[in-house]
Amino acid sequence: MTQSGEPVIRVSDLKKCYGDVKAVDGVSFEVARGEVFGMLGPNGAGKTTTIEVLEGLRSPDSGIVEVFGLDVCKHPESIKQRIGVQLQSVSLYPRLTVTELLDLFGTFFKNRVPTKQLIDAVDLDERANARSMDLSGGQQQRLSIALALVNDPDLVFLDEPTTGLDPQARRSLWDLVKGLQEKGKSVVLTTHYMEEATELCDRVAIMDHGHILEMGTVPELIGRRFKERAVFFDSTAKFPAERLGKLGGVTRATQEDGQTVLYSKDVPDTIGGLLAMADELSAEPHNLGIRQATLEDVFLDLTGRALRD
Amino acid sequence: MKTLIALTIANLKGLTRDRAALFWTFFFPIMFVLLFGVLFSGSGSSSKVTVGYVDQDNTAASAQLRAAFSQVPILDLQSGSLESEKAAMQNGDVAAVIVIPKGLQDAVAQTKSGKPASVAIQLYTDPSQTQTTQVVIDAVNSIAGGFSLVASGGSQVLTVGAPLTLASTNISTVTYLVPSILAMALMQLGVFAAVPLVQQREKGILKRLGATPLQRWKLVASNILLRLVVAAVDTVLIIGVGIAVFNVQIVGNVLLSLGFVFLGAGAFLALGFMLASFLKTEEQATGVVQVVQMPLMFLSGIFFPFTFMPDFLRSVARLLPLTYLGDGLRQSMVNAPQIAPLGIDALILAGWMVVCLAIAARSFRWE
Repeated sequence: MTQSGEPVIRVSDLKKCYGDVKAVDGVSFEVARGEVFGMLGPNGAGKTTTIEVLEGLRSPDSGIVEVFGLDVCKHPESIKQRIGVQLQSVSLYPRLTVTELLDLFGTFFKNRVPTKQLIDAVDLDERANARSMDLSGGQQQRLSIALALVNDPDLVFLDEPTTGLDPQARRSLWDLVKGLQEKGKSVVLTTHYMEEATELCDRVAIMDHGHILEMGTVPELIGRRFKERAVFFDSTAKFPAERLGKLGGVTRATQEDGQTVLYSKDVPDTIGGLLAMADELSAEPHNLGIRQATLEDVFLDLTGRALRD
Repeated sequence: MKTLIALTIANLKGLTRDRAALFWTFFFPIMFVLLFGVLFSGSGSSSKVTVGYVDQDNTAASAQLRAAFSQVPILDLQSGSLESEKAAMQNGDVAAVIVIPKGLQDAVAQTKSGKPASVAIQLYTDPSQTQTTQVVIDAVNSIAGGFSLVASGGSQVLTVGAPLTLASTNISTVTYLVPSILAMALMQLGVFAAVPLVQQREKGILKRLGATPLQRWKLVASNILLRLVVAAVDTVLIIGVGIAVFNVQIVGNVLLSLGFVFLGAGAFLALGFMLASFLKTEEQATGVVQVVQMPLMFLSGIFFPFTFMPDFLRSVARLLPLTYLGDGLRQSMVNAPQIAPLGIDALILAGWMVVCLAIAARSFRWE
C-alpha cells in the first residue's frame, strides 16, 4: 500500500505529441491518497491523453510519470493490477450480459470483488442478466464503473463519466463517486462540466492546449481571480457599454452568451447605479441577477473561451 | 489459463448470440453442401460402369471369357493394353481394370487332362469408390465361377486375385466438392475474423482490455482458439452433412486431414489478422473481406477440377493459398488427384501463415 503522505500520482513535465500536435505539453501535478482530483477543460485540452498515460495505455514522450511510486513505463502490469479504469464512451462486448462481463473482467485481476457485490454497488440488480447492448446510457456508464471496480482498486480513473447523461443519471453517478471517496479511494476524473468538478473534486486542474493553466481547490481558483461578484442581465443596446463600465464598484464589464456581466466589488452600489441609469434611459434590465463567480468564469477568464462550445 | 478460457468463452458467446455471424460461419457452408449436392448428385451415378479390359492371353479360351463379360449388362468394356487401361483409370475414363492373365488356355487344357491348374484374374480398383468397386468385384467373381464350371467342369481353373488399389479421378462431384466446401469455410472463418477484431478496436474494446493486466498474447490466443473451435465444428458439420445426405465416401487419412484443417484455418486466420491490421472501420472491413474472399473462392479451383481451367486461370490459381488448402484436403480426405504434392501444399500454407503473421505482428494497432 501507498504510505500516507506519499502521493499516489506524481507527474512531472509530461509531454506527449501526436505527429505535430502537442497533445500534452509539459504537465506537472500530484494526487494525494484519498483525493478526488479533477481535470477540467474543453475537448482537445489534453485531459484524456494525460490520464491514458497514467493508465499505461500510452507511453509518454518525456517527463516523469509515477503511479503508486512506480514508473508507468517500467511497471505497467503491477500498476494495472491496482487501478480501475473507465474510458470515455467505450461499448463493451455488446452481446455479453452485465454478470458475464463482470465475471470476465474479474479473471484479469489477482484481486477480485464478487460480481454480486459490484452489481449491488452500481444498482444494476434488475439488469444483471441484460446484455450490455440493451442497457440505457446511464446503465452502461454504471456498468463501466462497476468494471473499473472489479479489482477493488486503490486508484480509479474516470474519463468524462457523465458526458451524454441526463441530469438524474448524472446525479446518481455523482453519488457513486462520492461513495468511492468515502471508502478512501483516490479518484482522477476528467470532465467538461464545471458543476461536476465543483461538486466532486477536492482539487481541480484547468487544462487547455496541453497545459495546466491553474490548479487548486475550487474556492481557491475562484478567489484567486475574482474578488468580485457578478451582476448580470440580458444584453440590450439601450445601455451604452462605456457607461456600464463606469458604474459604482464595477471592475470589468463583459458580454457572455447574450448576457451583460458586470464584475463588482460593491454589488449594492452597482445595482443602484444600474437601476438609476435604467430609469434615466427608460430601459429595463431583464433577468437581472447576482452570482458568485464560478469555475466557468475562471475558465473564461483564463482562456477567453467558454468551456463548452 | 483461466483468463484465456474465460476470454475464449466470452468470444464464443458473442459469436453464437450474433445471428448474422452464426449464419455465415455455420449455415452458409452447409447450404453450399446441400445446394451443390442436389445440383450434382445425379451426374455421378450413371447406370453403366465402364471398365478397362486387358486380355494378355489372347486365345480361344480368353475370347470365350470376353464374350461372357460382354454379356454383363452393367459393364461397359473398353479393351486395351495394361498400360493404357491403367492410365485411363487414373484419368477417370474407366472405373476399374480387369486383367486376364497369360496362360488361361494352357490352364484350361491341363485341367481337362487331369492335372488341375489355375490362373487368377487381376483387378485394379479404387476403394474410395465403394459402390462401383463392389459392382465390378461381384461381376468378375460370378463370371470367373461360371467360366470355371463351363470350361473345366467345376475345378477352379479361373480365380480372382486380391484387387490392387489404383486411385481414380472418377470420384463423384459431391465427393470432390465436400473437401472443397470445407476449404472455403475454413478460408472464410479465417478472413472474416478480421471483422470482429476491427469492430472491437473501433469500439474501444481492445483499448479497454489494454487498461487491464490482461496480456496481449492471451487476447490473440483466445481469438485463435475460438476460430479453431469453429473450424472443428464446421468440419464436423460439413463432412457430416456430406455423408448423411449425399453418401460421400471419406476414405483418406484422418490425422492428415485434420492437420490440413488446422493448418488451413491457421493460414487464413493469419490473413484475417493481417487484414485487420490495415482496416480502420467495421464497414471498411466487411467490404474488403468480401473483396478478398470472392476471388479466392472462384479462382482457386475449389468448385471445379483444376484440369478444367483455362491456362491463364490455372496460373492465377497457382498463386492463391486456397488452391493448396483445397488440394490438400481433397487428397487427404477423398484421395483426389493432386495439383501439388501434399508436402508442397502444407509448405505453401505454412508460408502464407508465417508471412501474414509477421506483417500483422508489425502493423497491428490496438486502437
